[in-house]
Amino acid sequence: MSMTRYACMQALAPRLKDELVILSLGGSVDEWYNAAPHMRPASLFQQQLGCVTPQAFGLAAGLPHRRVISLDTDGGLLFNLGILATLGNEQPANLFIVVWDNECYQSIGGPPTHTAAGRVDLAAIARGAGLEQAHTARTLDEFDAHCAAGLAADVPYLVVAKVATGLQPGIKRKHSDGREDKYIFVRHVEATEGITIMGPSEHN
Amino acid sequence: MKQTAVDAVLRGMQRAGVSVACYLPDSLFRPLYPAMDASTGLRTIPVTNEGEGAAICGGVFLSGKRAVLVMENSGLRASVEPLARMGLGAGIPVVMLMSYRGEMGENNWWAIPHGITMEPVMQALRMPYRIVREEAGIEQAIIDAYEWSYSAYYHSAVVLGGEVVR
Repeated sequence: MSMTRYACMQALAPRLKDELVILSLGGSVDEWYNAAPHMRPASLFQQQLGCVTPQAFGLAAGLPHRRVISLDTDGGLLFNLGILATLGNEQPANLFIVVWDNECYQSIGGPPTHTAAGRVDLAAIARGAGLEQAHTARTLDEFDAHCAAGLAADVPYLVVAKVATGLQPGIKRKHSDGREDKYIFVRHVEATEGITIMGPSEHN
Repeated sequence: MKQTAVDAVLRGMQRAGVSVACYLPDSLFRPLYPAMDASTGLRTIPVTNEGEGAAICGGVFLSGKRAVLVMENSGLRASVEPLARMGLGAGIPVVMLMSYRGEMGENNWWAIPHGITMEPVMQALRMPYRIVREEAGIEQAIIDAYEWSYSAYYHSAVVLGGEVVR
């Protein structure tokens, strides 16, 4: 596979402005931090398998007028395939899911995931779970076209990006932890939605 | 579970400002699930496992809405990984309402593990909880769980046991 995750991120990032992003894991966190600096407060950086798309769906359910993007991974989605069935039933109109499928657990050195053998097709699984708009992109042009379609869709839209295993060289590390990232993200949602999520304590 | 207990749960959720309920149905709460489905102002999201439900609830928290995860207490074990990551790692809270399977009086062998593991698992997560066995305490327990979780930004649980669910 010659398409890189970082090049895909560079294609996706300029398309985003008011959207909210939840992402994981490992190297993709640092790559998104570099590829989309304007989306830093609008992005929740997570380090967990199986939670990213469910969290993004919860966010999309709470803010149905706002486009939410899940930047998930092959390992992360495989950890909890059940979310695809839930999305198939719930049909969130404002959720765009990108699955970075590098066919390995890159952050721990690259042992293969179940997609590496060539038989497991995540987009086909998603279609079978009821997500009619579930596709696989193998070139940057294909990926970019799916981003355009997915960000304008009125149904849940999933694209599996088959990407190379390498990490983009020369990028900066993100130094914040999950708690700081949560506060940055929540304050951004509060400011842009005009709401209070984590309010002041009572005086009593 | 009596209808009056179901009504008390719904009143507690309403007073706590809950607008989304994720659930995996169980037998002790059987009448609660259709009642939640029919409740005005409450969106229900059936899930495939409780861990998925916990993560969805975490996402709802980030939107400014309030969610609850409703399940049998066996679902707590299925939720430990996302609960630990979200709660201890990021301070994203999930409030849970669970039925107490496996408490004293349990007559199903398969439910015994649920009773033995429930409290130690919640204690391992350093998660406060209240076990409610009288209907009169249900509504306030739910309200108190939200007050605590939205002060601590950490998980809490209300466990319904005894005659409330039998």
